[in-house]
Amino acid sequence: MSGQTIWDKLQQVDRRVFYWILFVSLTVPFLTPLGLPITVTPSTQAYYDGLKTIEAGEVVVLSINSGVSAWGDCLPAMVASVKQVHNQGGKLIVWSIGYNDCDITWTRIKTTLPEVFSTWVEGTDYVYFGYCPGQETNVALLRDDIKSVYTKDVRGVATGDLPLMKNINDASKIKFVMSSDTGDAQIYYIRQWKNGPVNYVKSGKPPLVAEMGIAMNKSGDMVFFLSGDEFGLVAGSRGAAELEALVGRKGDATITMDSISVSHVLLVLAIILANVGMFATRGKKK
Amino acid sequence: MMLDYFFGKNIPGLSGSGNLSGQLQAWAMIIQLMAIGLGAINLLQVHFRQVSRKTNMAIYSAWFIVFFAFLLLLGLYKLATGVELYPYTWVFANVYTSLGATLYAITGFYVFSAAYRAFRARNVDAAILLIGGIFVMLANAPIGEVIWSGFPLLGNWFNNVGQIPGMRAFTVVGALGLMAYGFRALIGKERGFYSEAA
Amino acid sequence: MGVWIILDTKFIALLLLIASFALFYAYMRLAKGGMKIKVRTFPAVAAIPEAIGRAAEMGKPVYYSTGMGQGTLNNQGNGPQTLAGISILGYATRLCAKSGVKITYFTPIADSLPLVEETMRTAYMAEGKPDDFDPTTAINFQNEQSPYLTASLGWIQREKPASALLFGGFYYESVCIAEAGNTIGAMQIGGTANTHQLPFMIAACDYMLIMEELYAASAEISGNSDVIGSLRGEDILKFLVLISLGVGIILALVGNTSLIGLLKV
Repeated sequence: MSGQTIWDKLQQVDRRVFYWILFVSLTVPFLTPLGLPITVTPSTQAYYDGLKTIEAGEVVVLSINSGVSAWGDCLPAMVASVKQVHNQGGKLIVWSIGYNDCDITWTRIKTTLPEVFSTWVEGTDYVYFGYCPGQETNVALLRDDIKSVYTKDVRGVATGDLPLMKNINDASKIKFVMSSDTGDAQIYYIRQWKNGPVNYVKSGKPPLVAEMGIAMNKSGDMVFFLSGDEFGLVAGSRGAAELEALVGRKGDATITMDSISVSHVLLVLAIILANVGMFATRGKKK
Repeated sequence: MMLDYFFGKNIPGLSGSGNLSGQLQAWAMIIQLMAIGLGAINLLQVHFRQVSRKTNMAIYSAWFIVFFAFLLLLGLYKLATGVELYPYTWVFANVYTSLGATLYAITGFYVFSAAYRAFRARNVDAAILLIGGIFVMLANAPIGEVIWSGFPLLGNWFNNVGQIPGMRAFTVVGALGLMAYGFRALIGKERGFYSEAA
Repeated sequence: MGVWIILDTKFIALLLLIASFALFYAYMRLAKGGMKIKVRTFPAVAAIPEAIGRAAEMGKPVYYSTGMGQGTLNNQGNGPQTLAGISILGYATRLCAKSGVKITYFTPIADSLPLVEETMRTAYMAEGKPDDFDPTTAINFQNEQSPYLTASLGWIQREKPASALLFGGFYYESVCIAEAGNTIGAMQIGGTANTHQLPFMIAACDYMLIMEELYAASAEISGNSDVIGSLRGEDILKFLVLISLGVGIILALVGNTSLIGLLKV
C-alpha cells in the first residue's frame, strides 16, 4: 500500500463509499427542495399536444404495462395524463396486458386524483378492466374484440352493460392508447393497432400510440417517436416532471427532479475525479 | 397467425376471437399459464430438498414453504368463495410490491458504480463517449441548464439526433437477425434449444 | 378485393418477408452443397471455454442466466433471445460437464424449464456423466423478475462464481447481476438484443454479443454448414437494405417518395 498516491487510491475507492455518499445526498433535496426550473422537451410537448386534441366524449385507453418497480418513472406521467384526459372531457378505458400489479397502480392513481374521481362515474366516464395475461397476443385480440378478452370489468359488471362500452368493442372507436411500459408494450400497440391488419387501416381511423416509458428506454423509444409511430413520448421522471408542468399539477416527478440533479452532479464529479486520477497515474508511470 | 397479421378479416374464418387465429392465441396463453404451475412445482421441489438435507439455507427454504402454503390457501379461498381476504391483499401490496420497488431502486446505485468504473477516457472513442454521456446526463437534470445553457442543448441533440442512427441500425439489424433465426427455427434447423448437444 | 389486396403495403411487406426467407434458404442450400462460407469468430463465444476453464482452475461454479425475457417464451422480442441463450447454455453445460465444473442456471421463465432441463441433461449425457446432472440444484427458478434478481444476487454473493454467462433478453436486472459479478471479480460474458440494456452490459461484461450476434452465435457453435449459410443470406439482406436505403434517400432528395410509399406499413 505504501507508494500509492492519492490518485491511485481514488481509482480504487470501495463502491460502498459511493453508495453511502449517494444515499445521503439523495435524501437532502427531499428535506430542502431546490425548486430548479424545468424546460420542456419536444417529445413531451408533442405528447401534451396530443392530449389537448381530445374532444368531449372521445375515448382513450391507458394501458398499464409497468409494475410498481417503475412507479418512480411511470406513475407521475400516468397521473398527469389521467388528469388531462379529465380536463379535456374525455373518457378513459384502463387495462393491463402484462403486469399483475396494475390494481395497485390504478388504486394509487385514483387516490392521487380525488378531484377527478369524485366527478367521474365508473362505467360511464371510465372503465377499469384489470389484468389479463397475453401481452401482444392480447393486444391483437383487443384490437378486434374487446369483449373476447374482458367479459366484465373488475367490479364484475358485464362489458356489454357498461354505458361507456355500449358502442365500443374494438380499437376503431378509440382515439389513442397511452402505453406506460418498461419495454415492449408500445411496440405491440404500434404493430397490432396503429399498423394493424389491412382492413383495419383502410377504415381510415387507426388509433394512435403514445408512450410513457422509463428513462432507461428513452434512447430506444425516441426512434419510434421520431419516425412518427408514436405521437408523443414521456420518458422517465424528467419527462413526467415536464408533463406535470404542462398539465399544471406538480406531483412526485417534480419533487424527484432535485434528487436527480444531485445524483447526476455527483456522478459527473465522480467520473471527472476518476479520469483525473487515471491521467495523473498514467503520467506518473510514463 | 402470420396470415392473420397480413390479411386480417380478408380471409374469412381466420381473424377474431372465435376464429382460428384467435383460438391459437388463446391456446398460447393457456400453455403459458400452465407453465407457471410447472414452475411452482419446481420451486417446491428445490426447497423441500434443501429442508430435507438440512443445508445451511434450510431455514429460509422452510420459511418459503410456509409462506407459499399460506398464500396458496388464501388464493384458493378467493377462488372458491370470490372473497379476497385482507392478508392476501396486504402481503401483495405491502411486502411484494415494496420489495420489488426497492430492487429497482438498487439499480441506481449499481449504475453509479458501473459508470464510475467504465467511464474512463482510455482512448479517443472512450473520451467521446464520456463527453457525450456527461452532456446527456446534465441535460436530463434541471441543474444542467442552471450550470450552463449549452448542456440541455447539446444533450438533447445527442438524444434526439446523435444516437438515433445508431439505434435505428441496431433495430434493423436486430430484426434481420431475428428473421433469420425465426426462419431456421421454423424449418427445424435451429435445434440448440431442444436438447441437441452442441 | 383482390386487386386492392395486391396494391396494399401489407401485401408488399409479406412479399418481402417471403423473398427474405427464400434468400436464407438459397444460401443454406448452397452452403450444404459445398459452398465455403467463412464466419468471423465472435470473441464472446471464443471466450466461453476460457471462462469455464477459469472456473475449473479456481474450483468455483459458473453462473448462467437468460434474463427476465418478459417472463415468457411467448414474447416476440424476448422469446427468441431466450431460446438463443438456451442454445448457448447447451454448449456451456457440455464444457462444464467435461471439466467437472458446476453450472447453475437462473431464470424467471416458467415455460422454458422443460427446454432447459432437457438441454442440460443431454449435455451431461453427451459427456458420459448423466448422474452429475441434478435439476433441483442446477436450475434455479423464481416466478418473477424481483425474486429472480434477489436469488441471483444472493447466490453470487455466497457462491462467488468464477464466471458469469448472461445471454438472453435482459431488463434492469442485467446491470445488477453484472455489477454483482464485478464485485467478486468474476469473468463476465454477455449477449442481448435489447437495445436498452446494451450500454450497461457492455460496461460491465468482459465480452459481449450485440444484437444479431446473439442469434448468430448458436449457428457458429453448432458448426452446421447450412445454418451458417443462413448467416450469409442475412448479410446479403443487410446489403440489400442498405442499397434500398441509399436509393430511397436519393429519390427523396429529388422529390420522389414512391419507394417510401411502397414500403410504408
